[in-house]
Amino acid sequence: MPEPAAGLSRAIHRVRHVAFGERTGYDGSTLTVDRDAAMARLASPALERIDLSWASPGEPVRIVKILDAVEPRTKGPGGGGIFPGFVGPARPQGRGITHVLQGVAVVAAGFLPRAQEAVVEMSGPVAELSPLGATHNLVVTFAKAPASSWEEVDLALRRGLLALAASLAEAALEVDPDTVEELPAQVPLAAGDLPRVGAVVNLQTQGAFKDVFVHGRSFAGSWPTLLDPNELDDGAVVSGQFGHPALKNPTFLHQNNPVVAALRARHDVDLRFAGVVICPEPVDQDSKAATAAVTARLCALAGFDAAVITKEGGGNADADIALKMDELDDLGIVAVGLFAEMPGPDGTGPSIVVPPSRATAMISTGNYDEPLVLPAVERALGGDSVHLVDLPATDELTLPTAVIYCSLSPLGWSSLRCEDAA
Amino acid sequence: MERAGITTALLCNLVSIAKRVGAPRIVPTRGIPFPTGDPSLPPAEEQAWRRRLVERALQALTTAVPAPTVFELDEMTNGRNV
Amino acid sequence: MSVTRVVHYVNQFFAGRGGEDAAGAGPDRVDGAVGPGRRLDQLLGDDFEVVATVHCGDDDASGRPEAIEEILALVQAEQPDLLVAGPAFTSGRYGLACARLAAAATAAGVAVVAAMHPDNPGVDEAKGAPVVASGAAAREMGPSLDRLAAAAKIVASGRALTADDGRVGRPRRVVSTADKPAAVRAVDLALARLRGDGNATEIPLPNFDQVTPAPPVDDLSSITLALVTEGGLVPEGNPDRLESARATRWMRYPIDGADALVSGDYQSVHGGFSTVYANADPHRIVPLDIVRELADAGTIGGVHDTYLVTTGNGTSVGNARRFGVEWAADLRRSGARAAILTAT
Repeated sequence: MPEPAAGLSRAIHRVRHVAFGERTGYDGSTLTVDRDAAMARLASPALERIDLSWASPGEPVRIVKILDAVEPRTKGPGGGGIFPGFVGPARPQGRGITHVLQGVAVVAAGFLPRAQEAVVEMSGPVAELSPLGATHNLVVTFAKAPASSWEEVDLALRRGLLALAASLAEAALEVDPDTVEELPAQVPLAAGDLPRVGAVVNLQTQGAFKDVFVHGRSFAGSWPTLLDPNELDDGAVVSGQFGHPALKNPTFLHQNNPVVAALRARHDVDLRFAGVVICPEPVDQDSKAATAAVTARLCALAGFDAAVITKEGGGNADADIALKMDELDDLGIVAVGLFAEMPGPDGTGPSIVVPPSRATAMISTGNYDEPLVLPAVERALGGDSVHLVDLPATDELTLPTAVIYCSLSPLGWSSLRCEDAA
Repeated sequence: MERAGITTALLCNLVSIAKRVGAPRIVPTRGIPFPTGDPSLPPAEEQAWRRRLVERALQALTTAVPAPTVFELDEMTNGRNV
Repeated sequence: MSVTRVVHYVNQFFAGRGGEDAAGAGPDRVDGAVGPGRRLDQLLGDDFEVVATVHCGDDDASGRPEAIEEILALVQAEQPDLLVAGPAFTSGRYGLACARLAAAATAAGVAVVAAMHPDNPGVDEAKGAPVVASGAAAREMGPSLDRLAAAAKIVASGRALTADDGRVGRPRRVVSTADKPAAVRAVDLALARLRGDGNATEIPLPNFDQVTPAPPVDDLSSITLALVTEGGLVPEGNPDRLESARATRWMRYPIDGADALVSGDYQSVHGGFSTVYANADPHRIVPLDIVRELADAGTIGGVHDTYLVTTGNGTSVGNARRFGVEWAADLRRSGARAAILTAT
């Protein structure tokens, strides 16, 4: 293991095979999970029953009613501060070494109120549209304890998922990683000729079951703030948002923020990564406008020449991008927004509900209503039926892209887009 | 609806969206989940608030507008939603 | 060369059947060209003949689900080589009917061209069928017919109509897979803009049409006011299964005789916000209590006997626009003149 740099070292351990077994362990290739020990991490008075299953790439398996997904990571025994506010104390992380079990996700699936039905395919043509189509997924299904509220179930699942993810990664603490990625501590304002480009990350904050947590606390009602990008790697941002499956940002993608990754990859090549601003998505117009104005000022203070703005959620959240694009434009900062388009199944309707009025640099992440055919599968996890089409979960299904988990990823994970027909 | 001659007052919170899509008569409300209410108020006061919103909407309906026009209620913000 | 058989579709007004009083009339046909069709026939020349005119009332054509199918059946009975619809100018219901007829004709293999103003909401309903620009109002009939006749000749010849020919409507958006994820392309775009490419974008900015406001209501005490909402408020249990998101339908529910909406009898199925408040008091979405009081006091003439509802959550702009036109037709048929629309 190299000496930790001043920033964060990500020790990447690739998981190629998974199994259940007597003891949880990782041998540099196979992750074995002790089912009873894993259940103990998830146990809560709010959960009457818990089941665990593996769903791996290439299997004829469908996961339905997916809630959150977490990549197993730890900074040491007991988590070493990972997932601050949930597993570790609510303090900034992003320094030292973080061990990552790459190729695995811990996934909760089942009913929660306000959750919109999300689907992942482990094989077939739709598998590649979701990040979970390419990971070995430890799927947690559950039954609510009769005396508990759904809010208690939600909290128990979130705590349990994060604790389990941290504990699984401990199996890799003594194993040599496949690679180590060095992430610098900070990007000094000192110039050079390269333009400074940062990320503006809007987090959905619409109350229970549609909320996002920062350092363990709901981000609703907060003002935008600068965040050390390395904190994202250590789980500072955790999802509790279960609406809009295709337009959802699970914890897994906050840990692996695609815009942050793209900016890091080009840091000191053709740009300088100027930092991350996280913003709530308020539910009323005045607060949306105020948040946009504050965000633009923060970006200016942090010396951004350009910002890439992402959202979570549907048309309402388009306003949170559009308003910020205009505010940034007014301050002379280039603003690029990522938008999922909604032109209808045949692509003939107008695309964007709330476009910016002055800024115009927009990236397309695909069509919300594009119909997809999912071939029949042998096994379904998370539920027996797909309520949206009222069919058994293992049937051949025709579903819109809108229900495929992260397929139109507002964080830019997906390669889907729309273009004008010739 | 306006195009087909149905004079319409739109009560909504997301005024910027309403203006951008060209809704001619807009009355701003206090929150997305309750256009014609305000659950923070006692029932009688909430009903009074609803009456004022509806009356403002009726006023909008009787007003000629050339373009999207917002019909604010005076104490709209009143320390909230700011 | 044999003569190209043309059927012309117009609304009740241009067929000479009457104005708003005849907007509810069903589909019908007459031999030969009528009204603007006569000039169209002349412009098309000797190789073309308008063999029949099919017409329908605007409310019926835009509001009744089977109307377009029936109109198309009348068209097909003439065994036309070409269907020409409009020009509909900026008339929403007429434009919608022309566009939907064009879409249905295209699906049925009938060559077609429709004409309307670029801002007509019907443009979005043509589903890729050719639509050519017309003027905004009937006083621009002359130049509108010139362009329509030229476009009709192009379509009849089997060539594709282009923007240079006056074709309107945004190009269809088709899904593709890019060679890089959106996040990487976003950074590319930011750098392109910083290099001075001020137009680079993947989404050409949509141009929301300008709404011409309806005239104000002169006398509230003489009108029937309708309550309409996109807040997803339905009877408890959602008997018609209105969608909680991505709505493709709207519903109407009776409120005649009711002074108020009883808590517990209604629920909101809207998937985009917390419905706790609406479920506790449905008047937070549909303010029937106050509106009924104002009607009883004579401030307004009356309350429409149903409220109209859909769910505005992830609903495509095309569908939302269609609901608007259909609601307007529905309200006009039943005499409502103004509406309060609550949005969440």
